[in-house]
Amino acid sequence: MRKAIALGAAAVFLIVAALISALVGAADLNPVNVAAALAGQVPFVHVSSGLNQIDRAVLFQIRLPRIVAGALVGGLLAVTGAGYQGVFRNPLVDSGTLGASAGAGLGATIAIVYLGGLGPDVVPIAAFAGSLAGVGVASLAGVIGSARGISNGPATLLLAGIAVGLFLTAAQTLVLQQSTQVIQQVYQWLLGSLAGASWQQVTEILPYSAVSATVIMLHARYLDVLAVGDEEARALGIRPGLVRATVIAACALAAASAVAISGLIGFVGIIVPHVARRVAGPSYRIVLPLSMLGGAGFLVLADTLARTVVAPSELPIGVVTALIGSPAFIWVLRGTRAAGT
Amino acid sequence: MNPLKRLRAPSTVLAALTALAALAALSACGSSASSAGSARIVSASASSRPTGPGTFPVTIAAPGGPVTISAPPTRIVSLSPTATEDLYADGAGPQVVAVDQTSDYPAGVPKTTLNGTSPNIEAIAGYDPSLVIAAENEGGLVAGMKKLGVPVLVEPPAATLPAAYAEIEQIGQATGHAAKADAVVTGMEAQVAADLKKAGTTHSDLSYFWEVSASPYYSATSQTIFGEIAGMFGLKNIADKVATAASGGYPELTEEYIVASKPQIIFLTDNDPGDGGQTPAIVAARPGWSGVPAVRNHEIIALNDDVAARWGPRLPQLVAAIAAAVESASKPGS
Amino acid sequence: MIRVSDLTVTLDRRPVLHDVTFEAVTGGWLSLIGPNGTGKSTALRAIAGLLRYTGTVFLDQTDVRSLRGRARARAIAYVPQEPVLPPDMAVGDYVMLGRTPHLGYLGMPGGRDCLAADDAMRQLDVTRFTERRLGHLSGGERQRVVLARALATQPSVLLLDEPTSMLDIGHQQHVLELVDGLRRSAGLTVVSTLHDLTVAGQYADTLVLLSDGRVAAAGQASAVLTEDLIGRVYGADVQVATGPDGRPVVSPVRKGVAGL
Repeated sequence: MRKAIALGAAAVFLIVAALISALVGAADLNPVNVAAALAGQVPFVHVSSGLNQIDRAVLFQIRLPRIVAGALVGGLLAVTGAGYQGVFRNPLVDSGTLGASAGAGLGATIAIVYLGGLGPDVVPIAAFAGSLAGVGVASLAGVIGSARGISNGPATLLLAGIAVGLFLTAAQTLVLQQSTQVIQQVYQWLLGSLAGASWQQVTEILPYSAVSATVIMLHARYLDVLAVGDEEARALGIRPGLVRATVIAACALAAASAVAISGLIGFVGIIVPHVARRVAGPSYRIVLPLSMLGGAGFLVLADTLARTVVAPSELPIGVVTALIGSPAFIWVLRGTRAAGT
Repeated sequence: MNPLKRLRAPSTVLAALTALAALAALSACGSSASSAGSARIVSASASSRPTGPGTFPVTIAAPGGPVTISAPPTRIVSLSPTATEDLYADGAGPQVVAVDQTSDYPAGVPKTTLNGTSPNIEAIAGYDPSLVIAAENEGGLVAGMKKLGVPVLVEPPAATLPAAYAEIEQIGQATGHAAKADAVVTGMEAQVAADLKKAGTTHSDLSYFWEVSASPYYSATSQTIFGEIAGMFGLKNIADKVATAASGGYPELTEEYIVASKPQIIFLTDNDPGDGGQTPAIVAARPGWSGVPAVRNHEIIALNDDVAARWGPRLPQLVAAIAAAVESASKPGS
Repeated sequence: MIRVSDLTVTLDRRPVLHDVTFEAVTGGWLSLIGPNGTGKSTALRAIAGLLRYTGTVFLDQTDVRSLRGRARARAIAYVPQEPVLPPDMAVGDYVMLGRTPHLGYLGMPGGRDCLAADDAMRQLDVTRFTERRLGHLSGGERQRVVLARALATQPSVLLLDEPTSMLDIGHQQHVLELVDGLRRSAGLTVVSTLHDLTVAGQYADTLVLLSDGRVAAAGQASAVLTEDLIGRVYGADVQVATGPDGRPVVSPVRKGVAGL
């Protein structure tokens, strides 16, 4: 019962955040007109919005896709973070683990430094590919690392991921030094931003997002079983290695999709699952969907603040998520039992 | 790098050295009573532009503090693409032995792997310079070169046209080409004045968006030299609403604000393929931008990305491009 | 029925079990005894399919090797010596994990699963803890919850590795009586390791004494729990008497101390 209430509350939070986000912005659109315009989109409702052509363009081509992209990215990052936390039985991992962030950063940097001639669309594709490659390399390193002798499967993989991530970040710095002109461009991308999000981007990553999020959530029960350790999970008839590989692959795809739109945004993947656990308990059958809804609402809220607090200027969204996320994290830690999560 | 390797002296440099020495001797003998001790101070303001060939030693009141150069520099290292352009416009090209990796104009400059934003003292010293010119004092450049007895002239990004002129002058003085520098500046002023006269200065009905990068959108306000130049035509900069000290003249703007401001002209400084690739066609195709006047009237101007990022002798090109846009945008029916 | 033949296990290039053979009849209770490190837990883990081994393990007429993971897990429930108990997991959810082998790849627990889990919790008297977190239970309560999870699987074979180490004498007796009752009524075959020799002798109808990874003796309690064998295998001085139920009672003896 409590779980249903939590899910409902998260859904409401997302909807409210999205509505508020639609009503405010640097373009100073009259909220009443905006509400009317939105209402006019509902089938069979005929309301005239009183918005001129440019304002309609701002609302439907610039503001709304940004809100939808924010919800999508936030949901993906949060569910990926939760998925990784379940796979590794470690509360400190987030969506960029296993080289996903570092790989995306390297891919984007290579695109900006060397492939600039191919146009600006190369960067998201390179980031997507780099993110997947990062996870691939880290997984390979983890497999090699545990090939001999007894090893703690997930811990070895996690350590391999850290090592690979550090390597990729170093490679990224090396590439960057080749062309100091584009340092600002690269760091802008690294800071993460939903500026310039479009319907086209949303539709492009929608299939990957849907598939990966579905696969992750279908494995919720298995993540719960993994919580009692690999050996007991095997005694219960589960194949931990297979579950782990499947969930990691899905998480990698989800993280890559998010990164392709927005660059690297931190905190969402690590904080939101913890808050979800605090509210509704540790079972992944509730934590995964709750994280997705909560992450979506959180990022929409953060982006709204990022683009309105110093309007018409913007704050980098990574800064906003950290500013909100840090105190929230400390509050969560305060309530967590000393016995661990 | 073995410094001895850099000690070769081409015959042209020898010839220039002899000529300079002769000139210096002549001017020292013939100097008027007003320049006591044959040391001249060059100030940063445009109103006291001294004329005449360079006299050494000379102390330059550079923006970062006075710099004394004791003899005409024969081996100049430039760590700033703008300074490189200034040097060659002032006729000091033959004295330049190395320029940084981002200096690419004029064609044929001795480009090296030197880095102006994180300078490597030893690498610079490897070129055995007698003068280093940079746009910023990063990584302890000035202090480091001081230990080696090499003066560093720091000429930071100019915020106004007069400041840009003054830098060209200072570089001319520092390298013994004061007269040429004067001529360059005079020419620039004339060109700018002509463009202003032709296009007019009262276009306050026209607003513009100066795009430095896209997604996220960075712009330049009137606090920058580019904004100042556009302002000379009377144009209104939509980014001026965000005139905080923190943004340093280059604030990030929300996309919807840009569109809702309905600018009549959009200037792109990120259209080079290697620099962002935002061509006018791509900008016009951005979702939600079709109603923007600049898009409707095809007033999206792709500026030369380098010219629009430097404050050197090619500034009149920038002024001309802006003037052309202004004239086009203010034609009746736009 | 569980029949283990020539079970040999090598861990870390060290041989742990050599040609171990024993058999527990359906509904029977077989207990492995022996000194620390002699391979008792290893034998259980091998039967549970968690280790590589040579030799065969037969469950009734089926070679366990031929069973797929879930089929084996439905038939054999394994309770380790130190189970992992996520402190924030609710008891009800934990016990429901025992139903995992019965759920399809993407299946969710249904009515039958809930009934089995509830039944197991009731039998182990942990129903009132359903909503409580594992971290908030005492050692004894936790051990009962772990057993409940195993029973929720409704297996044919129950492998118990030191199931009463955390329980006081009263709870220990209660749990062992419960297991005994289950195996008689449901035909559950129990293979356990118990370090207390007397208790092992009281409940198991077959004892297998392991020494250095080999079977030193196997049979009824009275045959295996002899002073001579225990002295040889454990290197301990004991006195074996006969208890009121006719089963041996093993008491440690201090040599050289005058009787009172």
